[in-house]
Amino acid sequence: MSDEIILRVEGLMTQFSTDYGLVKAVDGVSFDLRRGETLGLVGESGCGKSVTNLSIMRLIQSPPGKTVAGKVLYQGRDLLQVSDEEVRVLRGKNISMIFQDPLTSLNPVLTVSLQIMEALQLHHGLKKKEAKAKAIEMLRLIGIPDPERRANDYPHQFSGGMRQRVMIAIALSCDPEILIADEPTTALDVTIQAQILELIKDLSARSSTSVIMITHDLGVVAGICDSVCVMYAGRVVERASVDDLFYDPKHPYTRGLLESIPRLDRAEEYGTVGGKRLYSIPGSPPSLIAMPPCCPFNSRCARAMDICRRAYPPETSLAGRSPRTVSCWLHAKEN
Amino acid sequence: MASRKIKLNSIALVGIIIIAVYVVGIVVSLFWLPCDPVAMDTEHVLEAPALSSGHLLGTDEFGRDILSRIMKGALVSLLISIAATAIGAVLGTLMGIWAGYKGGRWDHWLMRLADVLFSFPSLLLAIFVMSILGEKTVNVVIAIGLVYIPQFARISRGSVLTIKSNEFVRAAKSNGASSGFILFRHLLPNILVPLIVQISLSLSVAILLESSLSFLGLGVQPPAPSWGNMLSGARKVMVIAPWTAVYPGLAIVFLVLGFNLLGDGLRDILDPRMRNVG
Amino acid sequence: MGRYIARRLLSLIPVLFGVSLIVFFLVRLIPGSALEMYMGTQVEATPQQMEELKRIFGEDKPVPVLYVEWLGQLLRGDFGYSLRTGRPVLPDILSRLPLSLELTLLALVIALAIGIPQGIFASLKQNPVADLANRIAGLLGLSLPQFWLAALMVLAFSNTQGWIPMGNYIKFTVDPLRNLKMLFLPALAIGIGLAAVVMRYTRNSMLEVLQMDYIRTAKAKGLKKRVVIGRHALKNAILPVITVVGFNTGYLLGGSIVIEEVFALPGMGRLALYAIYQRDYPVIQGVVLVIATIFVLVNLLTDVIYALVDPRIRLDEGGR
Repeated sequence: MSDEIILRVEGLMTQFSTDYGLVKAVDGVSFDLRRGETLGLVGESGCGKSVTNLSIMRLIQSPPGKTVAGKVLYQGRDLLQVSDEEVRVLRGKNISMIFQDPLTSLNPVLTVSLQIMEALQLHHGLKKKEAKAKAIEMLRLIGIPDPERRANDYPHQFSGGMRQRVMIAIALSCDPEILIADEPTTALDVTIQAQILELIKDLSARSSTSVIMITHDLGVVAGICDSVCVMYAGRVVERASVDDLFYDPKHPYTRGLLESIPRLDRAEEYGTVGGKRLYSIPGSPPSLIAMPPCCPFNSRCARAMDICRRAYPPETSLAGRSPRTVSCWLHAKEN
Repeated sequence: MASRKIKLNSIALVGIIIIAVYVVGIVVSLFWLPCDPVAMDTEHVLEAPALSSGHLLGTDEFGRDILSRIMKGALVSLLISIAATAIGAVLGTLMGIWAGYKGGRWDHWLMRLADVLFSFPSLLLAIFVMSILGEKTVNVVIAIGLVYIPQFARISRGSVLTIKSNEFVRAAKSNGASSGFILFRHLLPNILVPLIVQISLSLSVAILLESSLSFLGLGVQPPAPSWGNMLSGARKVMVIAPWTAVYPGLAIVFLVLGFNLLGDGLRDILDPRMRNVG
Repeated sequence: MGRYIARRLLSLIPVLFGVSLIVFFLVRLIPGSALEMYMGTQVEATPQQMEELKRIFGEDKPVPVLYVEWLGQLLRGDFGYSLRTGRPVLPDILSRLPLSLELTLLALVIALAIGIPQGIFASLKQNPVADLANRIAGLLGLSLPQFWLAALMVLAFSNTQGWIPMGNYIKFTVDPLRNLKMLFLPALAIGIGLAAVVMRYTRNSMLEVLQMDYIRTAKAKGLKKRVVIGRHALKNAILPVITVVGFNTGYLLGGSIVIEEVFALPGMGRLALYAIYQRDYPVIQGVVLVIATIFVLVNLLTDVIYALVDPRIRLDEGGR
């Protein structure tokens, strides 16, 4: 992992007009991505992690959604400002994405080889024969047995784990600089999850592809990420390297998340009279419609102060070996 | 978003308005008609439409007032359509519910019957039945109703099957709910929506079927006016008297359009899937 | 794939059986037997002649036996004789079949050629006003009575050369261009209604498909919009359209009866109509059977085409 920053997101804001009002799904998200880095984007359902990444690739359905502010700096350009055509050229070639549900994300009436070949033919100008050969190679690489025959099969003829591998093959076939993985293992069995993560880790290491890994599972983060952004209610509340985050979490929400993980080494304590209960953060995530200016976590925060209810905390940089920020009044410095 | 719902409602609304116009015309026709629809007037044959002559839409090849005949024909056409759709809907729905609910042999054989009836193109079946039963108005109702039975059976059976396999029905059953209760509470709302939409569309098709049959001479018999047989008579003379063909046809088009608009608008409002689209 | 076709063919047999049953028994319901009607035209007959006539008209045997005999005859290609002309029924029907089929086929082509592009266009929602206009036009197309449209066409084009057949039908094999020209308007009259249906189904189906995850994947791959719509979306969206078209072919076949009458085309439909006017029951039975059979076969064809497009249907393939 080098120090070269290849993607910089600044103040991204994406909103959705719904029957109930304006939903601020992403409300000022910023982070950097380095070459070869695997960045985890963590948070509960609805915190805006998927929308963030769809916004980066300009895949937000408009209407009802719209990216209203921010910058996505890549290769010296702001992706939010360039033309549709310029973005389209980058998709699949420089920035690829894999999605959560491989069954619905693959086209059921097209063979898997065709779906892999498309990208190759488009981005690398391969002829049909060459593309087919490369597609078979990719299938072999991701561990599909008997790839020549299976290439002509359809998505419904594969198991869930295999389908996700196919998605990975499609995404990585053109050697992208950035791979965005949107909860790639959520829909899969636990045993398969590990395999898929290994695969992603392997393949990305080979070509030093940067990965943005979106997940709600801290275990996944611990497994393959180099650094983490914790998101809550459409904003980044803490950014740190994986080690820093797990050993020294600063934001109360991060702490709450880590507390919530049931721990085997404390197993005897749970369920005993007077012992620990399984911890969960009290309350529920706020509605993203018409949020007043405050820290969105304050209603559930054990350490909320008066100022937390009145103003959004600034992003504070903390000292450390790797870059680290937190958005919390507890850590806000006078600078 | 809300504006879209209003726009959808307006489609159904236009449909209702159109139908209402016809209904008003029909009610009026029960008490008063511009002229006697069957009175032939050989001195005023094939007169062009004119306010002065008292024949707003002209006269046909027998000197009969076209407007009056259209108004009278409306009653017949609408009655036949409603009756036929009612028969088809009631019988078909019962058949479908029975088949879906009972399953097994009942389902198998009833649906076979429906499939066989389905194998006949609608107009063909209606014509065939008419040729057997004879050209009485009542038979038109039976013929068209017969065409509709399999359609309604399919729809209601589909709804029943969906309900049967639904998780919440199993949950209700495991809580001790009786079959009748389940049928009433769960089936009815589910089946109502596609049924209503289908009824509206069936009404429109019924009018077309009836007028086709009358056109072919197999429906309402002259001198009783039906839009279809008016058009049939007009064929010979329409080159010199186009109004004899145009106006009855327009009468059909607008009433059918009214029902189609209504059905379409209803479908958009009631079908939850469509609501989320675009 | 082959096994799928075979299975579907097998399921056709009971349906065709049912169709023949209905046709046979419905005709039997007619008040007054065929013999009585025949007798109505004769003055009198001797008892022996009555016996003979009864035998010919099959009234000496019980009905189920008659059905089986009739079925046997059908399978041997003997559809009986016309009560009016005395000619065998089947050859007459078959000679008129090509015209009706051609007409129906043309109507189908017109309906698809108008309906599908319009439906796709409407689903892309470039212009909400155009979308509404499209929708109204579609509903209007459904509301036009075919015979009225046909009559108006005859009225409008009666003076223009070659567009209205009016008794001077030229076969496709004789002069394809003139044949197509004179069948175009009739096919249009039949097809407009179906075009409206196709347009709305295509539009709705496309709208649904465009919301699907795999479209998002296709876009994420950087594919051009044309490819996304043409290859990814359309192939999925066309499926319900295939089903509904197969379904509505019956509508086309039925419509041809009326249209053939208005345009004076010597097709099967017209044959059936005049047979009905004249109570020529063997002919009626024959035509109804043929049309119903065609319809059933078309439905089979529809299912096969559907399976060709949608690989998930071909369940017997390996079964992984």
